[in-house]
Amino acid sequence: MTTGNREPETGGRGRGEPPHQRRLSESAKDEIRRLMAQFPQPQSALLGALFVAQDEAGYLSPAVLEDVSAVVGLPLSEVTSVASFYHLYYFKPVGRYLIQVCTNVSCTLDGCAEVLHHLRARLGVDVGQTTPDGRFTLRTAECLAACEEAPVMMVGEDRHGKLTPETVDAILAGYAEPRRPTPEAR
Amino acid sequence: MTDAKALINVVIDGRDIRVPQSTTVYHAAKQAGIEIPIFCYHDRMPPLGACRMCLVKVEKMGRLQTSCTLEAADGMVVSTTAPDVHAGQEAMLEYLLVNHPLDCPICDKGGECPLQDQAFRWGPGRSRFVEVKRDFAKPVSLGPVLVLDRERCILCWRCVRFGEIIAGDDALKGFERGFASEINTPFTLPVQSKFIGNTIAICPVGALTAKSYRFIARPWDNRAVSSVCTFCGVGCAVHLDVRGNTITRVRAREQPAVNDIWLCDLGFYGQAYVGRDDRLRRPLVRRDGALVETSWDEAVDVVARQIRTAGGRAGLLGGGRGTNEDAYVLGRFFRTAAGSNHIDHRVDLGPHTASAAVPWGMTMPIADLAAADVIVLAGCDLTEEYPVLWLRIKQAVDRGATIIAITPKRLEIGRFIVHHLVHRYGVGAEVLAALIGGRTGRRRIGQTPGGVRDDALEAASAALMSASRPAVLVGRLALDAPDGVAAVDALLEVCRRLGTSLNVMRGKGNEFGAALAGMLPDHAPGYRRLEEGRGDLESAWGEPVAGAPGLSAPDMLAAAARGDLSLLYVVGADPATAVPDRRRWTAARAALPFLVVQDAFLTETAQAADVVFPALVIAEKSGTVSNVEGRIQRVEAAVQGPGEARNDWEIISLLSERLGRPLAYSGWEEIFDEMRRMIPGLEIDHRITARPPHDGFDARGPTPEARVAPVAGDYPLTLIIGDALFDRGAMTARSPTIADLAGEPWVLLHPDDAAAAGIADGDAVVVESAGASVALRSRVSDAVRRGDVFVPRGFDATPVNKLTDGDPRVMVRIRALAAVAGSTGGT
Amino acid sequence: MAESFLLKYVHDPGQAGLEGYLSRGGYEGLRRALRMAPAEVTEEVDKSGLRGRGGAGFATGRKWKFIPPDPGVIKYLVVNADEGEPGTFKDRTLLEGDPHRLIEGIAIGSYAIGAHQAFIYLRREFHRARRLLERALAQAYDARFLGRNIQDSGFDLEVVLATGAGAYIAGEETALLESLEGRRAMPRLKPPFYPAVKGLYMQPTALNNVETLCHVAWILARGADWYRQQGPPILISISGHVAAPGVYELPLGTTIRAAIDAAGGMRDGRPFKACFPGGSSSAILSPAYLDTPMDYDALAKLDVPGSMLGSAALIVMDEATCMVEIVARTVEFYRDESCGKCTPCREGTIWLSQVFDRILHGTGRGDDLDLLAGVARGMMGTCFCPLGESVPPSLNASLRFFRHEYEHHIRTGACDVRAVA
Repeated sequence: MTTGNREPETGGRGRGEPPHQRRLSESAKDEIRRLMAQFPQPQSALLGALFVAQDEAGYLSPAVLEDVSAVVGLPLSEVTSVASFYHLYYFKPVGRYLIQVCTNVSCTLDGCAEVLHHLRARLGVDVGQTTPDGRFTLRTAECLAACEEAPVMMVGEDRHGKLTPETVDAILAGYAEPRRPTPEAR
Repeated sequence: MTDAKALINVVIDGRDIRVPQSTTVYHAAKQAGIEIPIFCYHDRMPPLGACRMCLVKVEKMGRLQTSCTLEAADGMVVSTTAPDVHAGQEAMLEYLLVNHPLDCPICDKGGECPLQDQAFRWGPGRSRFVEVKRDFAKPVSLGPVLVLDRERCILCWRCVRFGEIIAGDDALKGFERGFASEINTPFTLPVQSKFIGNTIAICPVGALTAKSYRFIARPWDNRAVSSVCTFCGVGCAVHLDVRGNTITRVRAREQPAVNDIWLCDLGFYGQAYVGRDDRLRRPLVRRDGALVETSWDEAVDVVARQIRTAGGRAGLLGGGRGTNEDAYVLGRFFRTAAGSNHIDHRVDLGPHTASAAVPWGMTMPIADLAAADVIVLAGCDLTEEYPVLWLRIKQAVDRGATIIAITPKRLEIGRFIVHHLVHRYGVGAEVLAALIGGRTGRRRIGQTPGGVRDDALEAASAALMSASRPAVLVGRLALDAPDGVAAVDALLEVCRRLGTSLNVMRGKGNEFGAALAGMLPDHAPGYRRLEEGRGDLESAWGEPVAGAPGLSAPDMLAAAARGDLSLLYVVGADPATAVPDRRRWTAARAALPFLVVQDAFLTETAQAADVVFPALVIAEKSGTVSNVEGRIQRVEAAVQGPGEARNDWEIISLLSERLGRPLAYSGWEEIFDEMRRMIPGLEIDHRITARPPHDGFDARGPTPEARVAPVAGDYPLTLIIGDALFDRGAMTARSPTIADLAGEPWVLLHPDDAAAAGIADGDAVVVESAGASVALRSRVSDAVRRGDVFVPRGFDATPVNKLTDGDPRVMVRIRALAAVAGSTGGT
Repeated sequence: MAESFLLKYVHDPGQAGLEGYLSRGGYEGLRRALRMAPAEVTEEVDKSGLRGRGGAGFATGRKWKFIPPDPGVIKYLVVNADEGEPGTFKDRTLLEGDPHRLIEGIAIGSYAIGAHQAFIYLRREFHRARRLLERALAQAYDARFLGRNIQDSGFDLEVVLATGAGAYIAGEETALLESLEGRRAMPRLKPPFYPAVKGLYMQPTALNNVETLCHVAWILARGADWYRQQGPPILISISGHVAAPGVYELPLGTTIRAAIDAAGGMRDGRPFKACFPGGSSSAILSPAYLDTPMDYDALAKLDVPGSMLGSAALIVMDEATCMVEIVARTVEFYRDESCGKCTPCREGTIWLSQVFDRILHGTGRGDDLDLLAGVARGMMGTCFCPLGESVPPSLNASLRFFRHEYEHHIRTGACDVRAVA
């Protein structure tokens, strides 16, 4: 399992503990309210609201989850329970770019193990870990529905296929700059 | 729903069974005495079909079926014993046990554990599992009540669904998924619930256990005694489990008319005070300024002499914590031997409040709440005052009922309230009047009195008038408010228009039994007015009964302060902390020649007494009690009291004998029989309610002093005093779980007011009125309106009644106790 | 062979935009549908013989007929765009290549059942598809193919795009509805919660797959008769050890062998060893079944329990494939994607994966094969939803066809397949 555990990083619920206690911005709350207005029942916006929160805060801290629960009007327990069910929410800080390597059948057949091995060596982290510079978090993923390009991975929102150790190096280089060039892979 | 459903025939294990349509196969089998094992199914909740334990084979259906989810159909042929059914059940048990720690010898559930029992009966008897079991940190503390052992959990979801479906508090939830699924709270924070004890009761394994019961007893060590919880007034039926002379735990006893099979956590964990070492064991008498232990003989002698001397200038306060029989004997004694009608169980009555103007209790049965279509909560903080009634109302909500709440504080159940009109304290009556058509004539566009929006009011009004099965409840936040009489007047008009009666949600413990038994200054037993019933009393008792109606509780204090009372007899009450205005109590006590207290503990009042009698508590008593809907229920003594403590009525018997007017009863039954002759309809499990509130209600009322307009002066905030379910009173402070749940006394204030005073959530603060102050912990929340602060009563060590000065509207200010960095300091 | 149409334009530049789509006859199906009565549209779809392309293969027209026609009842159409069955990538291909086709299908379907609100539940990882869909939806609103009074027909439809958050189980229809309502994607009890009766927000709901609705757009554009003459076609996702993995539009009933040939044959000419014909939820087939037609019945009737067309994801494996490893990977997938609601799926998958772990790490035991079969047997026919029951077919088939590989692993602690290859 790659889902982060839900225990807070640090104890204490007092004041002045950024970024653990960082709250949602008003614009994020407005975006959540916009999502809620799309649905006959506001809870339908919860998954989207959690992404809004996660995109802004980097991960779903207890403080941010409290804010989501207040805006959507649901108990914190429900919001946290729902979030923990889905694998694309993080409860701990992650790197700037999330690398998700598919390890399902088709990618296994086409050598994802080699790609993953190379990534671990190259980044110096194991699956589930973040590089010391905070740039990449390495995770495995289930079938990304792009088996025609197996083996496949996603870096951030970009999909990259037909991976070999050589192409992986080139792809990572594209994310080396602090500002992201957004290479659109197809 | 009473429409009879068509009957259908099913065959289960070769037996023909007739059941109504839409009966599940599980229930059909159960009806025929055929046992099908279950884990996730619970008959108070809809079927879930998760555990897959209740498998059966149905002819013409390919797969095994879960009998808890499958509706029986006419002609269906079912087997619960086919080989593949056994194979399936064995497989399910094997799956459940592979990751279960099998630590039964040290598990509190052992001996009453469905998993244990079913593994014994249906299990494979062996496991092929050689892998490493799932590993969780354990046990995990989830607050003062609950201990969680995730390894034992079989993920039946009962506890989660209890919170979602029954209690509506979503206290426990499932987290993660698949094999990593676990039941927990978010971030393992203390569980937020008033009902979490029920999840322990319905947990089919030892995953949820009570801290208070850990390693205390095995089920076969316990003897279950039937009793009734008398904390809040709902009167939930309980089993007190007793080992030796100790109550090991409290369980709900099924009582369909009251609590069904549920309790609140006060009921579950509030009984620990019974066995405390600081219970009073022997009578105390004041000697050289100090209370010292003495014999019953001497104590009774002293008190009897004082009563004789008082010659009718005696008052009796309390009686709401004992049995009906206690209250009856107390009243009879006082009206005859003591020659006084100064009798009042309403110790916490404010002198000019609506609480003094209406009889207490519900006019409708509790069970009917679940069928209501519109529920009005006027100043009634239901989950803090009568928590188990919320479970009924939650059922009504699930059936589509609309809750309209008019309160000065946003209620915890706010998520379920459609029309929640949170108003400034003291203008609830205007909001209520506006609800029924603006008799104030002051409705403006946008805002109405109390900051309630006009459109919200209009919507609530429309919903209210559409009610066909209304339930209208008024609570203490309205009754004791400065405009309480006007609020009741408006509510009576609401009830008149809707064709219903007002339910007065006021009174705790057995105060309803005390009222029924005649512990009121102007009422004889059976809610008869004294002037009407006096003749009957005299003929029944064969003695003269004092004439004119007596003084109410606040009037007794006033009389005492004036020197007009020679003796005050306090039974099971602590007026020092309970009266609305502590200064009045202090003045009364100072001027009072003699104070007798009959209690289980040396309360603040008892410490000031001249004689203290050690009394038994309800768990030690046999007899009857009455609840908020007037239902008479039996209690049985579960344990023996400490030392020489006695029943209240027994103490009175001693006194009466010493006064030469013996009231010799052989036991509670004889007293109950005497009461039955006097009170028509008095039977176990019957209801006797007070006269309806509109009968004799005077809208000009005991209404008071003109309302003080809020002034932005030295004391800019209006103080609201209300109930918290978990507090630290004489009993609750001595029940460790409840004291922990209560925590430190607190004050709720609006974020704007907090910001203005430089106060953050959780700060130590001082709330001051002219002349007094209390130290509290801040809770910053917009649950109250700006300008209002809420402080719970019931924390005896921090009595909030210090702040009041006799006026129903109390103005206070608040400041941080210690300077907070970055703030400019409080006002 | 019939003309290819589903994939005809997906790789054309501009097809994802409204102009390109319209220039190639786009929205003709919707225009035609709007001239028909809703019931006629359903009838047309029914007549076409279209079966749902999500995996269950239920007739789409019949599904729509379950929706109560009462206009007073609020109805919804929900698109299952949560493609996640391992080996399946046809929906993503359609979403990225022809998003207006889906929107057209949604509008037609909504019109047919009388829904005025439709929801697309899109897999979160489909970022590119989301961007393209968002644009296409905006274009469709602007051009009045969505919104109020579509093409002056008096029909109103609003389409909301929602995404999942990483859960394969959300592809199960009732779990999808739970997720769309903002809850944990745990399947609902059927009965009573059949989507057509008590679906989204407990209202009657038509739940259709992306490919299905794209078929619908074509059926309405060209007519049911024309459609039937085309095969009817299905999209087969072919991956693994073939020369040219990809999505292929082939007539229903094309044999596995022919499908592999269509994908360029076996990669590097290596011999075929096994395949999943319908994603990893289907059984594994050995070379003896290469001439099985890829249609619903032929695959289901094989003597291999759990063989099925499913989502038509043909995963092809050559002789160098370690079947123990592949099945282990499959078991892990279901273990990680199990929602945890029911006992056999939650506990069975973890137990199986623990046994596989041992076998692959060289600590297998003699009775492990019986144990695997026994644990899988307990899951069969006892799970709450199809997810848990997706495990036994491939496991049992591999134990039957490739038992020697397991035995070798257990006996030697190593894999002989890859050594040979």
